[in-house]
Amino acid sequence: MNHYDIIIIGGGITGTAIAHECSKYKLTAALLERGTDIGIGATKGNGGVVHPGYDPTPGSLKAKINVRGANLYPKLARDLNFGIINPGMFVIGFTDADEAALKHKLEFGIKNGVRDLAIINADQMRSREPHLAANARYALYAPTATVVDPFEVAIAFAENAKANGVAILTSQPVTAIQKKADGSFLINTPDQQLSCSYIVNAAGNHADDVARLAGISEYQMKPRHGDLLVLDKDMVNKPKTVMFPCPGPDTKGIACIPTVHGNTIVGSTATMMDDKEALNNYAPGIQALIDGVHKILPELDAGKIIRTFAGLRPVVLNNNNDFFIAESLTVKGFIHAAGIQSPGVASAPAIAETVRDLLDDAGLEMKLKPDYNPFREKKPVFGTLSIDEQDFLIQKNPAYGRIVCRCETVTEGEIVDAIHGIIPARTLDAIKRRTRAGMGRCQSGFCQYKVISILSRELGLPVSDICLEDRGSQQLCGSVKGGVK
Amino acid sequence: MKQLNYDVVIIGGGPAGMAAALKAKEKGATVAIIERNDELGGILNQCIHSGFGLSYFKQELTGPEYAELFINQVATTGIDVYLKTMVIDLSQDRQVKAMNEDGMLLLCAGAIVLAMGCRERTRGAIKIPGSRPAGVLTAGLAQRYVNIENRKPGERVVILGSGDIGLIMARRLTLEGMQVLGVYELMPYANGLYRNIKNCLDDFDIPLHLSTTVTNIIGHPHLEAIEVAKVDENFKVIEETREVVPCDTLLLSIGLIPENELSQKSGVSLNPRTNGPLVNEELETDQPGIFACGNVLHVHDLVDNVTLEAEAAGAAAAVYALQQKVEAMAGENRSAKNKSTIPLGPGENVGYTVPAKLTSPTKKAARILFRVRKPLENAEVIIQSGKKIIYQGKPRAFKPSVMEEVQLNPDEINGLKAMSDQNSVALPIIVSVREVKQ
Repeated sequence: MNHYDIIIIGGGITGTAIAHECSKYKLTAALLERGTDIGIGATKGNGGVVHPGYDPTPGSLKAKINVRGANLYPKLARDLNFGIINPGMFVIGFTDADEAALKHKLEFGIKNGVRDLAIINADQMRSREPHLAANARYALYAPTATVVDPFEVAIAFAENAKANGVAILTSQPVTAIQKKADGSFLINTPDQQLSCSYIVNAAGNHADDVARLAGISEYQMKPRHGDLLVLDKDMVNKPKTVMFPCPGPDTKGIACIPTVHGNTIVGSTATMMDDKEALNNYAPGIQALIDGVHKILPELDAGKIIRTFAGLRPVVLNNNNDFFIAESLTVKGFIHAAGIQSPGVASAPAIAETVRDLLDDAGLEMKLKPDYNPFREKKPVFGTLSIDEQDFLIQKNPAYGRIVCRCETVTEGEIVDAIHGIIPARTLDAIKRRTRAGMGRCQSGFCQYKVISILSRELGLPVSDICLEDRGSQQLCGSVKGGVK
Repeated sequence: MKQLNYDVVIIGGGPAGMAAALKAKEKGATVAIIERNDELGGILNQCIHSGFGLSYFKQELTGPEYAELFINQVATTGIDVYLKTMVIDLSQDRQVKAMNEDGMLLLCAGAIVLAMGCRERTRGAIKIPGSRPAGVLTAGLAQRYVNIENRKPGERVVILGSGDIGLIMARRLTLEGMQVLGVYELMPYANGLYRNIKNCLDDFDIPLHLSTTVTNIIGHPHLEAIEVAKVDENFKVIEETREVVPCDTLLLSIGLIPENELSQKSGVSLNPRTNGPLVNEELETDQPGIFACGNVLHVHDLVDNVTLEAEAAGAAAAVYALQQKVEAMAGENRSAKNKSTIPLGPGENVGYTVPAKLTSPTKKAARILFRVRKPLENAEVIIQSGKKIIYQGKPRAFKPSVMEEVQLNPDEINGLKAMSDQNSVALPIIVSVREVKQ
């Protein structure tokens, strides 16, 4: 049986950021993810905004962690080679009451240490966003706000962690946790038993369930559901800035978000749910998004919607909407990184530092590894290269000369790279997240059969075994009459 | 990087591209076809049902047979064919950047014919609520899986949308032993051709539910059921009609969209009514020397019509390219010619027209294609400029699924030129289909 100093439960952006942090130290660590890929819970169900930190109440854990995390992103993006854009953010006021609220948020932001915040007027807003609603009067402008692809960040964290010695194990739902007399833990998954000295619980919406396996009932969780939309890259008058309306008590409101790849995301609604798997889209939610974004950009063309999706924000109840990051009061060596709702993406790198400090406080010796490699090499992204680089790449390997996804210009070479990557892609959606094949306007109508056949060939599996994402999501059920076996 | 020169470069080797190439070659141009797939023929290769060629070849062919007749001709006429080659950029000055396994290519063309076809509308476009499981796919993708890949998407199938591909697939899947539970159509009438309703649904006892749509997708990780409901005349769901239909596959046949992302890179303007380029009667876009035909221009229901249209585009492209060469040698400029443009557009009950403008004066008859927006029991085509009626058809029935065609003679168009000159305003020509009371 394998023993680790630390086992991280949950492979979302929080868990992978923690794995990445742990990989810097002389210790042994493993990450267990229940899904077939990392970053497929709350991490894939949000708009990717790295919130600058004007929103959390000063003094809260969130306030401290959010700003620190957001500040870490630009360097992380360089080191780990993930996409980041800096569109800045408007929080838009329409009424006198909004103006007062924005001033309040400005104060929060300044107290929280957010740089370069300012209240700007309608003309200043319009010079950047000419299609803004006529009744938009002021905005809190946060020029430092950035946007990332959260699942790309999680993959980058996990790949770097794995390259530096952390075991990243997918399809490993934790079914039992046992605290032994010597203080260590035994963890069961359907496949194996592992032991460790410390557990970090980063299980997203299931953090309370995982804690309960260890006999801890310090908090209860419920998901806050959000519908989101993706708009085509070729939409006219695309917003250049992340634009939120003046926020409400539980949500930052319905925003339009320019993405790293040139799409626009509209998100998100906020509805408390009981079901932790309720990843449906709801018709009233979709309508609320369209209505909501039209309050900011009245001319936005809803005909350019290419995809709807949903996310569940993990909320720890009776916790003032704050994160819950602490060592368990009842079970020593069990550390919670729970309730990572918005701004979880922004906060992830700082949550990892906080967890590191908690592990240190809990008695784990944290010594930096001299041979830690902070850099992650990225495989070629064909569509981003110059024509000469593209030609060179094809000469080296003709698989880069075969376009599989026409909408996003993704080549077979890139798909094969993803399948044999550090964190291998084994499903259609895993390929989509790594390469963008199927992410475009045809939504895989033209490329799905090609990607399925490449997966089947590279993994040595029948095509009818290839899944969309979760176990049981096979897209094909067998052969037609008289067809191939 | 390899650089090549052609009089005419055709982007897309489906039925439109091949017919355009053959005509351009016939006119004496040097021609290249760029095709992204492994073989010519486009979507025809997966349309293994019959019903093609009735008007063009006067015989009933399957899709691959129809394609083969063109593929064989292309092979013997000295047209350069680039297979497995993807165009990734097209400039205003007609430089085509493409790639294949050998590397990057640059093709410089005297004229371009856009023949890239169309794509299917997806679930996202119509925002069906619910889960996002495996088992939901477009009808064309299902057709690819079943007819080419020999794969079965599921056992119990529901089809949303009564477009032709959906109807054809209802029959195909039934013949392959899958159970097709029904076709659901939001509109109060079928979108596909009458013959497909009859041959693909009625003959197989597959129910067609009109004014009904899918309101929820149920199941995770795989599709388990859909919820359907009737809609009223404003397409609002009638709550008490919601009903759950267990199934493992949902095919979407909810419309086709011309694929013009590449066209737009060259600055070609699109007609918002068709999502295809705005063209004149020569099928030339607003970018000189760039022509369009087939489903990239507007969605056709019969490949025979695509062929006719593409032949016209191919011929016009060749004439353009060859004339440019002559003029370049003589130092002339084609744009100096004294021609004006008359806008052409849809009126009452008409969804769109192709072309969207006519050039005057002209020596050739103009072929005007259009579709009605809704079924009309008894109506007549009226084409007019201001109050002057240029054309009036005989009263008959019209359906949105059938593309209509009217020829306008040169003297009718040229006469208008004179009138609009006098008024110094080019009055648009409006195509209407007016209901006639019996």
